[in-house]
Amino acid sequence: MFGIDDPWILLGYALCFISTAFGIVYGIMKWNEEVD
Amino acid sequence: MVNQTYFWAATAVYAVVIFYLAWLGYKRTKCNADYMLAGRDIHPVILGLSYGATFISTSAIVGFGGYAAKLGMGIIWLVMLNILVGVLIAFIVFGKPTRRIGKKLGALTFPDLLGKVYKSNFMQYVTGLIIMVGMPLYSSAVLIGGGRFIEEVLSVPYLWAIIGLTAITAAYVVFGGLVAVMYTDALQGSLMIFGMSAIMIVTLSLVGGFDGFQSLTDMSHLVPAGLASTGMTGWTSFPELGSATWYTLVTTIIMGVGIGVLAQPQLAVRFMTAKDGKALNRAIPVGVIFILITTGVAYTMGALTNVYFYQQFGKISTEMTGNVDSIVPLFIDTAMPEWLVVMFVLVLLAAAMSTMSSLFHVMGTAAGHDIWVHLRKARFFPSKLRGSDEDASKLKVNKAATFIMIAASLGLAFIMPGDIIARATAMFMGLCAAAFLPAYTVAVFSKNPSRLGAIASLLTGSIVWAVWTVFVHKAESSVLKVSEILTGSPSVLEFPWTVVDSLFIALPLSIAALIIGTMIERRMAPRMTDA
Repeated sequence: MFGIDDPWILLGYALCFISTAFGIVYGIMKWNEEVD
Repeated sequence: MVNQTYFWAATAVYAVVIFYLAWLGYKRTKCNADYMLAGRDIHPVILGLSYGATFISTSAIVGFGGYAAKLGMGIIWLVMLNILVGVLIAFIVFGKPTRRIGKKLGALTFPDLLGKVYKSNFMQYVTGLIIMVGMPLYSSAVLIGGGRFIEEVLSVPYLWAIIGLTAITAAYVVFGGLVAVMYTDALQGSLMIFGMSAIMIVTLSLVGGFDGFQSLTDMSHLVPAGLASTGMTGWTSFPELGSATWYTLVTTIIMGVGIGVLAQPQLAVRFMTAKDGKALNRAIPVGVIFILITTGVAYTMGALTNVYFYQQFGKISTEMTGNVDSIVPLFIDTAMPEWLVVMFVLVLLAAAMSTMSSLFHVMGTAAGHDIWVHLRKARFFPSKLRGSDEDASKLKVNKAATFIMIAASLGLAFIMPGDIIARATAMFMGLCAAAFLPAYTVAVFSKNPSRLGAIASLLTGSIVWAVWTVFVHKAESSVLKVSEILTGSPSVLEFPWTVVDSLFIALPLSIAALIIGTMIERRMAPRMTDA
């Protein structure tokens, strides 16, 4: 994919985007949640 | 070379805004707590941008970007760890209890937090001392990165470049404290997001879009013989498992920096600036987007510089310049349009200044608040030098200590070797993880943390890290030369130990020391109660 054959490199990129998406969704879902 | 007119015009605007924000910080710093923790009431967006801008420095962009050019895209796993560990785990798992406990105990610094949780002045002093000794390594590396870039792009002599960079940053850190640091961080972070996004688009257009990755894959036969013999297989593939290059990439660069971020004092202290847990949640989306764009672009661009240089000059990046730290500046200077070179210079200045300002602030408060304010009462200090317990006196001490630590960082930058940016960064993060991470983790999660365990962990982690760095890990020991002078060899052990990062030895031993110390304290406690 995209000329990159090594699955470890592709997995690294995929996990970067998944982690970012998780962080955005988490922040939005917990936007008004009272903590402490 | 960058267009001087554009650059100085843009820099003038940038400087005016920076000093305006610094002035705001100065005006809002009414007491010592404001100077140390920005009044514990920072806005979530400023917190997210400040955290990211502090985290990502010239080391990440120039140093690790250069490593990506040399070793390839395997370093993308560091981006993943920066997001997962550096933001998600840091904010969600560590950030909330750190803020809550820090506020409850009235802790103003990272060493202060550990000292108060463990009810141990020794913990506070030693943590402060490790920061004072270890952190200049990192701040100087950041300074060198900024200085080299200014030298390369603006043809300003290196000496004047680092003096100027230090003076401007020092001005707002010393007088404006953490409020000024975080306000300016937010501006610098925004600039970094915009600039790095533009650089990714232009880089892709220069190498033929996504076809550039295929071109890079097709260049694997150009891997230098020296690197190929140590396991490198290409720029779009991981090095051979267990090879020397694999160990360097995985244990030092990816894991060392990726894990080390959790226990960095300058980042942990930011959690204590949040008003409440809600503010930490709201800062997370800003933080993850920031890290993805800045580091993701730097490492992808770094690897793709090989395609550009090969297509234009018939050479790979490391053949264009012998110094890894010069690859990214050279690429920007050679390949980018003038306006983007100006933009990138500002991004680099922003990255350097945002990280340096935070490091200067943490070193200064460690020296002032954690060490001097307590030790000044010792008999051997003349009474004139002791100051008083008044808030204004402590504020003055912290400002003076910050100034002194800034001067120390500048001095170190003169004597550190040139090709050191990424390695010094990894060293500092490894030291933080080995020395602080186990004790910090227990401090924020255990209801009954063991003082003996924490002290044992702190001492074991830092001492083992130092010994391994000086006597075994060849990348550092061969530069330090202590092992060679004392034993006749740069490393006292054989491969693969010579390429296993100090963190991988020191952190497990630090954890073991924590467990053993805790068990001993638990066993002794009932007896002492009985007695």
